[in-house]
Amino acid sequence: MSISSSANDRKPAAVTRAKESSSSRIPITLSERSMTGLALIRIFVGYLWFQQLFWKMPPDFAGLYPYIIRESQHTIIPGYGYILQNTFLNSCTSLHTASGCTFFVPLAASVWIAELIVAMSLMFGVFTRFGAILGVVLAAQLYVGLAYAPGEWYWTYGMLVLLCLVLTAIPAGRRLGVDQWLAPRLHAAASNNRFARFVSWFA
Amino acid sequence: MTTNIRKGLFAGLLAGLLLAMLNFVTDGTPGRILPDVLHWFGIIIADPTISRFSGFFLLIVLGGISGLIFGALQREKGITISRALLSGLTLGLVWWLVFSLALTNIMNHASSPFSLQFGSFLSTFPIDLLFGLVLAAIYYQLQEHPATAEV
Repeated sequence: MSISSSANDRKPAAVTRAKESSSSRIPITLSERSMTGLALIRIFVGYLWFQQLFWKMPPDFAGLYPYIIRESQHTIIPGYGYILQNTFLNSCTSLHTASGCTFFVPLAASVWIAELIVAMSLMFGVFTRFGAILGVVLAAQLYVGLAYAPGEWYWTYGMLVLLCLVLTAIPAGRRLGVDQWLAPRLHAAASNNRFARFVSWFA
Repeated sequence: MTTNIRKGLFAGLLAGLLLAMLNFVTDGTPGRILPDVLHWFGIIIADPTISRFSGFFLLIVLGGISGLIFGALQREKGITISRALLSGLTLGLVWWLVFSLALTNIMNHASSPFSLQFGSFLSTFPIDLLFGLVLAAIYYQLQEHPATAEV
């Protein structure tokens, strides 16, 4: 008797728990306004990256040099400074100019092009999630190298990582961006094309 | 036709506002490049603050006029996303050619109205294309029924 009674008590509780569980797992859909707001945030984050291209312009990328020196001196990961010394700063003789450095220009060009790709991807909403992932990598590198350098606020680069992570999670290019055109086409092609299936996640 | 023009005007004003805001967020003094917008029309205001804010509002007005033209050029009632984005990018290209290239060079007494340096190209061309793209995307949104996006 006591067993059946406790079983009866447990039954409604289990039903309630199941109801709560199912209602808390209802898929979240973003409204048109939310998506447009996120698209505007995406454009401004892209513009942030875009503006940072101009103080380290080609052909010599001279503006980047003092920051690489700072990163090699104040990095938070042991060994990262050694890597920078033997790549970007290989054969460099001065703390102020990159003259004499063997690999500085090609490596700085790679960084500049990567930042250009992030900026264009986020501003125009073209393969936005790819641009955002690349942004996370670049911002994480800045965090590792510069966050704890003198005069820097460590959250600056942390926030940049977080912003790019948000844009990785949400397909913000599907409003006010080229992904609005790309995404349905890639999704349609994804059923019989493995590459389209892979690429469609980035739009 | 009237609906298209009204939608175009609204989209143009919003895209103009975005462009003005992007031009406001600059290093150094906020909006230090906004007086260039007045300079396109030969207007020079001595007070730097008034000059910056006048440039800000003129950019929104120019955006509205571009939107009017964009809307007037759309003959059909509906527009596909591909056509909207293509038309928007074309509008951005025209904006860049007229304002950022020709008028800037003419007002700065450059050797040619189409003389160009890499730095000035990079700082203006993508932003002007973005203006056109956003205008077209807003125009497209205005005719769309509300829908949700898959996350």
